[in-house]
Amino acid sequence: MPKYAMAVDLERCQGCRACVEACKVENNTSQGVFWMHVFRLEEGEYPETRISFLPRPCQHCDNAPCVKVCPVGARYKRIDGLVLTDYERCIGCRYCEVACPYGVNFFNWKQPAENYYMDWSDPDIQPASGGEVPPYRNPELDGRYGSEQKQVAGGGHFRGIVEKCTFCVQRIEKGLQPACVTVCPVQALVFGDLEDQESPVSTYLRGKQSFRLLEETGTEPRVHYIGGRTPGTDVREIEPVEGRVGA
Amino acid sequence: MGITRRRFLQGSALAGAAAGAAAGQRLLFGELETVVAAHPALAVAPSVEDFVPTTCWIGKQDCGIIARRINGRVISLAGQPEHPLNLGALCPKGPAQITALYDPNRVKTPLIRTNAKGQSGTWRRASWKEAIDLVAARVKETRDKDPKLVLWQKGRSKAKSFYDDAFVNSLGATKLGHGTYCSDAGYRALEYTIGLTGVLHPDFRETRYLLSWGWNITNGGGNKFCWITWPRQMLEARERGMKIVQIDPRLRGAGPFADRWLPIRPGTDLALALAFSNVLVAEGYVDGEYLARYTNAATLVRNDGTLVRVDGVPQVWDAAADGPAPLETASQPALDGAYTVDGMPARPAFELYREQIASYTPEWAADVCGLAADEIRGVAIEFGRNARIGSTTVVDGVRVPYRPVGIAAYHMSQQELGFQAVRAMLMMTMLVGAPGAVGGQMADTSWKIDKNYTALDEVEVKDPPYGYTLKSSRYFPINSGFPGMVAKVMLDPRRYGVEKLPEVMITHYVNPLVSFLSRREFIESYAKFKFVADISPWLSETADYFADVVLPAATLEKYEGPSSANDQYTDAVALRVPAMAPLFESRGEIDIYLDLTEAVGVLYGEGGYLDELNKSLKLEPPHALPLDKKPTPREIFDHWALAQGIEQGVSHFETKGVYVKGPLKPAKRYGYVTDPPFGGALHRFYGESLLRYRNEMQAKGAEEVYWRDYTPFPTWRSLTMDASPAEYDLDLISYKLIEHKQSRTGFMPLLAELAPRQRLDINPRTARERGIADGDEVWVESQNAVTGETRRVRTRASYTEAIRPDTVGMPNHFGLWADPRARERGPSPNEIYYVGEGYMTNTADQSFLVKVRVSRA
Repeated sequence: MPKYAMAVDLERCQGCRACVEACKVENNTSQGVFWMHVFRLEEGEYPETRISFLPRPCQHCDNAPCVKVCPVGARYKRIDGLVLTDYERCIGCRYCEVACPYGVNFFNWKQPAENYYMDWSDPDIQPASGGEVPPYRNPELDGRYGSEQKQVAGGGHFRGIVEKCTFCVQRIEKGLQPACVTVCPVQALVFGDLEDQESPVSTYLRGKQSFRLLEETGTEPRVHYIGGRTPGTDVREIEPVEGRVGA
Repeated sequence: MGITRRRFLQGSALAGAAAGAAAGQRLLFGELETVVAAHPALAVAPSVEDFVPTTCWIGKQDCGIIARRINGRVISLAGQPEHPLNLGALCPKGPAQITALYDPNRVKTPLIRTNAKGQSGTWRRASWKEAIDLVAARVKETRDKDPKLVLWQKGRSKAKSFYDDAFVNSLGATKLGHGTYCSDAGYRALEYTIGLTGVLHPDFRETRYLLSWGWNITNGGGNKFCWITWPRQMLEARERGMKIVQIDPRLRGAGPFADRWLPIRPGTDLALALAFSNVLVAEGYVDGEYLARYTNAATLVRNDGTLVRVDGVPQVWDAAADGPAPLETASQPALDGAYTVDGMPARPAFELYREQIASYTPEWAADVCGLAADEIRGVAIEFGRNARIGSTTVVDGVRVPYRPVGIAAYHMSQQELGFQAVRAMLMMTMLVGAPGAVGGQMADTSWKIDKNYTALDEVEVKDPPYGYTLKSSRYFPINSGFPGMVAKVMLDPRRYGVEKLPEVMITHYVNPLVSFLSRREFIESYAKFKFVADISPWLSETADYFADVVLPAATLEKYEGPSSANDQYTDAVALRVPAMAPLFESRGEIDIYLDLTEAVGVLYGEGGYLDELNKSLKLEPPHALPLDKKPTPREIFDHWALAQGIEQGVSHFETKGVYVKGPLKPAKRYGYVTDPPFGGALHRFYGESLLRYRNEMQAKGAEEVYWRDYTPFPTWRSLTMDASPAEYDLDLISYKLIEHKQSRTGFMPLLAELAPRQRLDINPRTARERGIADGDEVWVESQNAVTGETRRVRTRASYTEAIRPDTVGMPNHFGLWADPRARERGPSPNEIYYVGEGYMTNTADQSFLVKVRVSRA
């Protein structure tokens, strides 16, 4: 059984947010929802200023607080390490959102089909879109995944439930990399199987110092960060996106 | 409650997910039918998945894209792994442009204006035939009078501009580009000095020390390539130990990648380059071998600035023969000393340079540039030391001089002294012999000498009357073709000795009212065009106000190319293949030009559009297009591909997207070892013709503002904007965001979500002095030191410690109004810059410098 993990190279990340966009299109997440987000940070005083970037997907924790608090077993940890949400079970209580220290859960406040940026009902686009909303709707997101065959992929299925990053379960079960990893122009994101010593993520992490976010909370994240520096106390977010992305 | 819902879902699944049955039942959230209706695909027939290789349609370098399709519907865009430029990756604009493809706000059919121009347009839909016939009739009418009065202008071309050039040539029309807003002053500096058409970029595989000079590493791309290719090469170089010095008033562009930051005062780059050069000369970091052999630094100059010539051939002082000789035959060309030739004193150009550069000390520049003298000296010495003058290395079996230092610079060339600033930066690398060396200074992906190397040296400065672009005029002997100046000329032709003005304007995916500076001049000049036709996928602001006809262009759904896919190490070429059929009634531009030239009557026969297509694509028999048969764009590319020796023709690109030719050999990459070296161009360290233009301009009565920067060596002078009143105490700079491209993306919702609105970057110290809190609404008011005019825009203050306290910055996007989704995102800084004398370069290029004051709104 694979043990999936991601490495994020902070010495390489340029904060371009291509991963954010690739995720949004691949997973059909609706407006204001950012399963992958890249924080742009500034600290220090002129001219001793420092700029840094921090990509933040779901950490797919081994000791995931979100799983523990889910009252209906919708949020669960798969044996390969993925933390997923069974959309048919989720009741939208948002306990996971409160429990997660990383701010990666997004509640669908709106009817997703009415929250894809534009009004896609224009009759002139129907021949190309086939009536799909959004027109780039990915049918694989409707599939069932894992041995438990649950509907866990993609976003925008229902109003009133919570969604988050799945490491692109629909892609990795086909042997592909998550969309954010594939798109990254500077290969700052590396994904793979920690059990496989030759996997990209194993070779990337080998011999390098790495850390995990909020390790002290005991969440045991599956996302490992390489490089970067411990932020100072005056670190501040710059260039925010339109949407809530913080914890 | 939750259990109820889950039970219900199970129940509904058992009941066959009947949407109708569930209607009206209320759950915790909303109507039930949405729960069921969101699953149409659960029951659908098997899907057909396929992949179409195409290219990015927003960015500059046309990255290779694979469109993934399900049942013919494009559902995602990813990078082509084999494409050398992007190697499977994309920037945020790559995946996000999928919304552009389906955007219901695109121009769907040809439109004909139904109201007066100069205001937001009202339109009626027209057939392609009606629209094309109307444009053709108006073009023909003007063309019959004088073809030059038909003006054609495009924004940044996608791919090779062959079909544009063919269109312009077949009409005999006048062409304007966008380069004067981008980087043309830098292009002119390099074409003139070393004959390459490019600005400045390093040999990333080998360089050890990089001056990132105004290069917006994490947002802006650069010379030749977009944002993906350079940063990847930069990171790999950095991982090998390359050091980066960021020379920029703002640190944000460099992100975390600057090893050292020199926060220079905007517009003083020339002074800094001169001071760096001063230190290099003073400390002996001078590659005499390169300068004497491959540049005109040894050429003898008389007291009047002209070169010593014998039978028309410039002479050097051959120290071995102790007499004058042509460079080719001199065995020891002297760089120093004073000599007498034909009874007249003469000195090597380098001797004059040494004398002039001596006054540009780091202490002097510290004052001008707002930097510390020891920092300037320190960087210059590190640059000189890292250049390893005299060393060589072996690349692919070829021994080449090794100078692992370079400069990356691009858009910073668009400043008042831009031509000379970039020339001075290049000359700084020439001092250490870096151009064309391994690890050294690059500008293009080969050493093919541009025709401007000769043309810019042989300009004949004429007397009026002038054409409306002022080519060969006493105002701009070196002339980049500046739409802002054309606008000014149109408003006052007599002032510039111009008699005939353009009558018909064809704008192709260009939006001067927003993307170019100084909207007022454009609004007033566009009102003078008798007819304006616009070709674009969206209604631009310029078309909204002034187009008579709008022709809807396709985006990703068309054949276009060829695009170079050369990453400066591997040579390759790519084509855009339609990702799907054109949406609505849009069409590819090549289709549009074929129809338009046919309707004008210039499609067929010699000199016609087809003939010009053959010329611009270099199609010779048997691959030339027949001149009597209208081809499809696909057929044109098939001819082209076969002419390239690609056996499968266009179908190669339809299956593979890119054609990789292989690695570039050192003899193509490195100027020292090309045959002849440096493509045969002698590098113009000394610009004799610049002095000649200065003299001729003066003789023909041009004012000082036009000739003052035509100097044989780059020479500092104070900036026009510094004459603004003291209350305009801040410098405004503008810059690119990675999420947006010019004015082409502000309405694309996925990108607008990431970078939603305009802001004013301001140092907190500066802001607090003015009582401005982070996020406050502010007025930014600029002042034109020449005319006294002021302009202002309102935006929000955004605190940042990553900018000089005397400088404020704004991204150069936003300010759109034609698309409802782009409104209320704030203004464009372009609205408060100026066009015209003092706010442009001596090469007719736009300057992006202005003094502003900032106050709470």
